[in-house]
Amino acid sequence: MGKITYKRLKGSQNMRQRLLLATLKSTPVLIEDIHAGDTLPGLRPHEISLLRLFEKLTDDCLIEINETGTKLKYKPGIIVGGSHLVHDCGFSRAIGYFLEPLILLGLFARKTLVIILKGITNDSKDPSVDTFRSTTFPLLRHFGVPSEGLKLEIKSRGVSPHGGGEVHLTIPTVQHLTATMWTDEGMVKRIRGEAFTTRVSVQLGNEMIYAARGIFNRLLPDVYIASDYRKRLEAGNSPGYGISLVAETTSGCCISADTTVSYPRGDEEEDIEDEGKKELIPAADVGEELASVLLEEIEKGGVVDSTHQGLLFLLCALCPKDVSKVRVGKLSPYGIETLREIRDFLDVQFVIKPDPSTGTVILKCWGSGMKNLSRKTT
Amino acid sequence: MAMDIGADGQSHKAHRSRHSGSSAKKKTKARNKEQNSDQKQQNPKAFAFRSNAKAKRLQSRAIEKEQRRLHLPVIDRSYGELPPFVVVVQGPPQVGKSLLIKSLVKHYTKHNLPEVRGPITIVSGKQRRLQFVECPNDINGMIDAAKFADLALLLIDGSYGFEMETFEFLNILQVHGFPKVMGVLTHLDKFKDVKKLKKTKQRLKHRFWTEIYDGAKLFYLSGLIHGKYPKREVHNLARFISVMKFPPLSWRTSHPYILVDRLEDVTPPERLQMNSKCDRNVALYGYLRGCNLKKGTKVHIAGVGDFSLAGVTGLSDPCPLPSAAKKKGLRDKEKLFYAPMSGLGDLLYDKDAVYININDHFVQYSKVDEMEGTTNKGNKQDVGEALVKSLQTIKNPIDEKLEKSKISFFSQNPNSSLEAEDHNRGSDEAPKLIRDIEPLKQYQSNGEEDESDFDLDGSESSDQDESVSEGAMLKNEGRNFQEGNADVSERLGRVKEQVEFHNGRKRRKAIFGDGVDHSNLKSTDEENEGDEDDDDDDDDDNDEGEDDRSNEDNESCSGSEFSDGDEEDLKSQDAMGNISKWRASLVERASKKQNTNLMQLVYGKSASISNTSANEVKDNGENEESDEDEFFKPKGQRAKNSIEGLNGGNINTEDCSKCAKFSELKNWKEEEVYESIRDRFVTGDWSKGALRNQMSEAKTEEDDMDGDFEDLETGEKYESHQKDDSSNGGIQKEDDDAIEERRLKKLALRAKFDSHYDGSESPEEETEIQNGGKFHRSQANDSGYYDKLKEEIELQKQINIAELEDLDETTRLEIEGLRTGMYLRLEVQDVPFEMIEYFDPCHPILVGGIGLGEENIGYMQTRLKRHRWHKKVLKTRDPIIVSIGWRRYQTTPVYAIEDQNGRHRMLKYTPEHMHCLAMFWGPLAPPKTGVLAVQNLSNNQAAFRIIATAYVLEFNHAARIVKKIKLVGYPCKIFKKTALIKDMFTSDLEVARFEGAAIRTVSGIRGQVKKAAKEEIGNQPKKKGGHAREGIARCTFEDRILMSDIVFLRAWTQVEVPQFYNPLTTSLQPRQKTWQGMKTVTELRREHNLPIPVNKDSLYKPIERKPRKFNPLVIPKALQADLPFESKPKSIPHQKRPLLEDRRAVVMEPHERKVHALVQHLQLIRNDKMKKRKHKEEQKRKEVEAQRARDEQVLRKRRREERQERYREQDKLKKKIRRHVEA
Repeated sequence: MGKITYKRLKGSQNMRQRLLLATLKSTPVLIEDIHAGDTLPGLRPHEISLLRLFEKLTDDCLIEINETGTKLKYKPGIIVGGSHLVHDCGFSRAIGYFLEPLILLGLFARKTLVIILKGITNDSKDPSVDTFRSTTFPLLRHFGVPSEGLKLEIKSRGVSPHGGGEVHLTIPTVQHLTATMWTDEGMVKRIRGEAFTTRVSVQLGNEMIYAARGIFNRLLPDVYIASDYRKRLEAGNSPGYGISLVAETTSGCCISADTTVSYPRGDEEEDIEDEGKKELIPAADVGEELASVLLEEIEKGGVVDSTHQGLLFLLCALCPKDVSKVRVGKLSPYGIETLREIRDFLDVQFVIKPDPSTGTVILKCWGSGMKNLSRKTT
Repeated sequence: MAMDIGADGQSHKAHRSRHSGSSAKKKTKARNKEQNSDQKQQNPKAFAFRSNAKAKRLQSRAIEKEQRRLHLPVIDRSYGELPPFVVVVQGPPQVGKSLLIKSLVKHYTKHNLPEVRGPITIVSGKQRRLQFVECPNDINGMIDAAKFADLALLLIDGSYGFEMETFEFLNILQVHGFPKVMGVLTHLDKFKDVKKLKKTKQRLKHRFWTEIYDGAKLFYLSGLIHGKYPKREVHNLARFISVMKFPPLSWRTSHPYILVDRLEDVTPPERLQMNSKCDRNVALYGYLRGCNLKKGTKVHIAGVGDFSLAGVTGLSDPCPLPSAAKKKGLRDKEKLFYAPMSGLGDLLYDKDAVYININDHFVQYSKVDEMEGTTNKGNKQDVGEALVKSLQTIKNPIDEKLEKSKISFFSQNPNSSLEAEDHNRGSDEAPKLIRDIEPLKQYQSNGEEDESDFDLDGSESSDQDESVSEGAMLKNEGRNFQEGNADVSERLGRVKEQVEFHNGRKRRKAIFGDGVDHSNLKSTDEENEGDEDDDDDDDDDNDEGEDDRSNEDNESCSGSEFSDGDEEDLKSQDAMGNISKWRASLVERASKKQNTNLMQLVYGKSASISNTSANEVKDNGENEESDEDEFFKPKGQRAKNSIEGLNGGNINTEDCSKCAKFSELKNWKEEEVYESIRDRFVTGDWSKGALRNQMSEAKTEEDDMDGDFEDLETGEKYESHQKDDSSNGGIQKEDDDAIEERRLKKLALRAKFDSHYDGSESPEEETEIQNGGKFHRSQANDSGYYDKLKEEIELQKQINIAELEDLDETTRLEIEGLRTGMYLRLEVQDVPFEMIEYFDPCHPILVGGIGLGEENIGYMQTRLKRHRWHKKVLKTRDPIIVSIGWRRYQTTPVYAIEDQNGRHRMLKYTPEHMHCLAMFWGPLAPPKTGVLAVQNLSNNQAAFRIIATAYVLEFNHAARIVKKIKLVGYPCKIFKKTALIKDMFTSDLEVARFEGAAIRTVSGIRGQVKKAAKEEIGNQPKKKGGHAREGIARCTFEDRILMSDIVFLRAWTQVEVPQFYNPLTTSLQPRQKTWQGMKTVTELRREHNLPIPVNKDSLYKPIERKPRKFNPLVIPKALQADLPFESKPKSIPHQKRPLLEDRRAVVMEPHERKVHALVQHLQLIRNDKMKKRKHKEEQKRKEVEAQRARDEQVLRKRRREERQERYREQDKLKKKIRRHVEA
């Protein structure tokens, strides 16, 4: 007991889930061969930023990185949370990348988490902050998280490459989650959305909305997409535009899709940037495309979209020792990876049964019995 | 239920009502009262409450009482059969504990127990089993017993009174969850005087009540008859036990635990011979309680330490409930108790051996053999008998022996065999099953032929064959999970495989000759049972089998993926081609199977990547092994090795939750495309949409979804087996039927539940609730929060049961772990040999599962209160022994108290009658866990051993306790309002740390630390060339200070909590010995005869203050000259002689003298008059006062009487009202 036995892992894959689960279960981990074969070996900037964020939120955690950055030793501390925290997420990944683990950490923290995150708010790689507001928070409600405390304010938007966005996040703490039987996807009753433009003409936003509506109107009349035109400081440092859509069903499920168009980041690509500037996809195409993506997500079925599968599984696994049952569409690779990490860390396996008639998958699990241990009793 | 056994045949005495005595009086009184109340009811209006406020008060009181009754409902998550309830019998020595257990056992089972050692399991009723444990008399044993007791029988010597052990045990119980308690008073026959007996009973009962609650049951055992407790009283006691309800305790419902009732040393004998003090492998047996046990769980063995489980096996229940095995009445009765350590039952437990006790008339194995032996092989009969007989002489059960001998089989390189096994585990597709081999049944109750396995292998007599056939059975089962959807070509392939497997199996058989790892047998899940006969033929010649094996490997290695030894063989052959072939077949096989199960797709293949967390050591071993492997492999091979299964070898993929693929979007503008999902919208067909949800409920077919499933990582597409559908039809239909049946059962269950809980709700609504989750549920019932909570819990439980029922056995095991109530065999490796050597069956062993995050070590903050019976206060940093959760360890706490501003201030000693915080280092326990502290473990201590109780508030990794620190400095140079302060800090660095800190002089002048003093100003070195003094601070004050002033800096400094904890290893030493850990300072001083160090400055002595002498004020001449006259000091010379005016005599004139005399006379008269008047007045006042006092007394008396009268009236009225209200 005296010596710390580290759980040995390899590679930088699923870094977020691994660190998150390690912190929640307080298992020390040792990750080797992180981008070892690459020309630029070692941890990526966003991964380092993630580690910093974890360090900020926890009490007395120990992070050791070797010289090349290919080896990481992480001994988690106790999740403290707290207010007046600021974190700069950098420009290599969007805020959405950090939000996903942050939400779960915040739920199991000692104090309510109030944090300001700076960086890229909208990105094509990660779910945008709008999606978190519109889809992820309602998802948490199914697991007994009070919706009053959950808050995400978008103070300013920032897109790649230079970011400049800022969001204020508030997450309440919970004693424990509650297991859910959530298999009824319901039928789509309304579609909402938000199209934003930063440092470009407001007209582009309207174009996107028009194009998206064009597709939905054949299926549903209740479509409302707001436009969010940001100016000056609120618009961040780079021009760009994007749209996020949410389909709400009769049973309270939210299925979302979002995308952002902006100039690519990266120093090595700077020379190409000049010509790249002309290559932004036309706004109308973006709207149309994303509407199709949303329809495809709806077609897949399930109570959440493919983006939220991982989070859904994590929430199920972190429930008390009760059976949770959820239905998702086709398992996404991210979801599968998450399932494996859950198995490795929490020792929770899901019963996965395909439902051939609808093309969905039903997952069942017996929660790990996670409780918020860091909360103080009086 | 339980009583039926004892009460059978006895005619019950009719009840005779009392005609005299107190109880008769009570009854008549009650009857009279009733009549009176009836009369009074004639005018009900008269008894309505008059006061509004009073009625309100009464109502609120009633509600309050109702609320106080309620407890937060606890979720009971044990879905399995109930394990036997543990009845701990506790009491001081010589009070009759063993005798009570013996009597109870005799009562239940009609068996005489020679001695009570270890837990004794008996069946007490149709639904209830009990496990009696005698609590050992040392404090460690008591603490452990309190942790597993469901019911504690506190035996009290009535003739002597309460002893400290009882109270200590009660306190321990309270801290660890407070299970049910019942007091039993013994030795009552020592009283000769009936009145005295009655008085004593009364007194003890009330003392007992104050300790637990008013009305707690105290049972009286009147005395001994023929050295035993009277039958009738034992019977009554048993009845009390049988109706007892056991509420779930929160710690226990969240942790699995096992009370070990059988312990075996399964260390290989070779290792023991080499070194008798080597670490042992131990098998522990017992019922699983608390909650479900998952395989990866670590356990804590109380008094030994933390271990990871090397193996968990569910065994058949050695003491099943009668409902489970209700065949023959008589034999059931024999099976009603199980006490392997007590020398009763079938197993006699000894320190170094286990003896099996079989009465001759119970032996039935020969009969079975006879019947089948004559039909098949006539001469097998004797051999079989001999074999079974030989079984009786062995030390260890079969399964242990099997494992052991597996290791010895590969003795030439035991390491490699282990590694190979690990490797196999990795490459296995089928999840490793823990199977019930049921070694107990084979020889403990050899007459039991209810096992179907036995029937199957009728002709076989050797135990090897039994297991083999069992393995075959498992295989069959395994195949049942998989779909029998192989087409013809596949089947052909399988036949080939079977042959290979057959050979491989033969090999395994050889292994089995010395013992076989049964996990291997299971892993081969595609085997026909047909080749059993072949196996039977050559099961004797192991060597031959071994030869065969090597030959086989040379010929074809394709099918040998599961074998243990072949890897090593391959290495020795140095055949690269073979390896590649071997790998190829593996991949091929894998791809073939991937269609079968999504679960396998997600979990099964990844086993090789995920380094199992269970034990790091094994991981390392595996790594080494793979390194070795790689040494022999060409580069390409290695790459291939890494690309296993689904993970395409890229371990550094970026993690993105979004998988946006814009390229392959459908054109949603086309009509047929968007019409396809029309039903997913509210504008579409609602009935179809609803159907979508319902269908999935009914269909739980393990089929792949919609045609084909794309493996998202490798990009391969696996075609589904649509062509097999026709062949599968029949099976599917069967499955459907089964599913339908199951569903109906579920519905019935739910309906039953509904009717039980909420009659009003319609089933439709109910299903909606079930689907819609919590949102609907909250509205379901508005009969109060409490009921709703209860209902929710119950509903969740039903859902859990229903969902778990769906699953087959193996998946269920994977998902929820081993169920409570199962009889388990835990194997623990590398246990210190002392545990075996000093094992004492009278000290029960508790094995507790470690929960989430409980194996970590850190600081814990507890709210602690010194026990009021402990005589001394506790000192900070004195070691105490705490018991938290399952653990007991010694640690050094630092006591603190929370100040108003939230600061944790250290305390040197615990406060007298208050809670304080205690911070200590140790294995973490979740908040709200109870903590018990003791300091002295020895038995001969007369006083109360429990020093404090506490509960965990929170845990941190960093301790934040501070204490006050006062830095003292002296001015060395004073400028105007600035001064240089020395001796406060030792270095300039320290000064820098305190810049801006507030300081103060004794006289109250406030100031601030500025900076370390520069060398130039006033901080010159004493001699030129020497170093400047460090640590002189420049400070400013609000006023100029004096050189004689002392300057203080008041600050808070962090107190370090010692990082010390020492687990109590009481099971690793002789039980009589007192465990010795860290000693307290006091003990050390006493031992070494050291005096208590005294700081002379802290001693109080009389303060001597010299009278302060003030010098005269001197005004400089120049100043004096400038002063105005009135402010100038007037220097008038002192006159020696008085003035003339003072010195002269006064002579009065005669008239003046007369006047003076007259005035004097008049004054004298007046004075006299006044004196007289005063005296008179005084007398008068006294009289008046006396009179008034008298009056007052009278008045008071009257008032009191009045008041009494009024109260009496009021009381009467109140009584009336109450009676009225009650009525």
